[in-house]
Amino acid sequence: MISLNHYLALSGVLFALGFYGVLVRRSAILILIAVELMLAAVSINFVAFASYLDAKLFTGVIFAIFVITIAAAEVGLALGIVLRIYRERSTANVDEASTLKW
Amino acid sequence: MPLPAQLDRTIVTGTIMASAIGLPYIVALSLLGLMGRISGAEVVWWLLAGLILVGAIGSVTSNNVVHAALSLVVAAMGVAGMFLLLASEFLALVQVLVYGGGVAILLLFALMMTNASDDPIVVDGSQKPFGFGVALIMGIVMVSAMVGASWDATITTVVSFRDIGTRLYRDYGVPFEVASLVLLVALVGAIAIARRDTEESDAA
Repeated sequence: MISLNHYLALSGVLFALGFYGVLVRRSAILILIAVELMLAAVSINFVAFASYLDAKLFTGVIFAIFVITIAAAEVGLALGIVLRIYRERSTANVDEASTLKW
Repeated sequence: MPLPAQLDRTIVTGTIMASAIGLPYIVALSLLGLMGRISGAEVVWWLLAGLILVGAIGSVTSNNVVHAALSLVVAAMGVAGMFLLLASEFLALVQVLVYGGGVAILLLFALMMTNASDDPIVVDGSQKPFGFGVALIMGIVMVSAMVGASWDATITTVVSFRDIGTRLYRDYGVPFEVASLVLLVALVGAIAIARRDTEESDAA
């Protein structure tokens, strides 16, 4: 029998992995990939709670839909910014793009 | 015999590691399932968990940026499987469409357009050991807290498309419209930021 704790532990591990990626990566796109992992972990948490504890209203599922929507918008916008930075500085590494004004 | 150029060291070691860890994992799970120690749903759960973790570890440790993006797709597909196990078919479909389709393609496009591939890239910063320590501590704290918790929980029946539609459009209509507005603004903003500047005389 799969318990709720299975899902919570999995999403905890996934979130920690994404956090590791956010902390250690240099490229802005790789950081975005790690952020996507963290968002996926949060989605698993939402849906698990909705399925196990909130059978009638399943609000967590609705929340997960919004999480996916906002994640898509965030990726689109962030990649636009990354392209712009790359064109100005010819690098997409966040530690090299450290000035606010060129 | 020398290896072909495409077959670099990371692919060889990755294949060997995948076979050495993945095959015993799958065989052990199948045997446990066949012997009746764990239910079929649990076998599927552990397979999907392994898939998600392999994809996640690959996407945060790979030195090849394209491999990292594709590993994210693997992890996202595993998450879609988890949504299926959690009886949310709609979310599983959305996950496959949005991540397998949109996000992966966007990331790959951006990687291709920003990747100066002629020099060896250093993908991880010098803060790596500290980041590893912090993430490890956070993971241990979160997992230990979550494993120890006890819930009065039972899995539900399938969340039907009809129920989701009712909830989404009746009770969450305004947030839904706001989300569509956010998407529109984000995409227009992305185009405005990323597009090449034309001559200033044109703008004036």
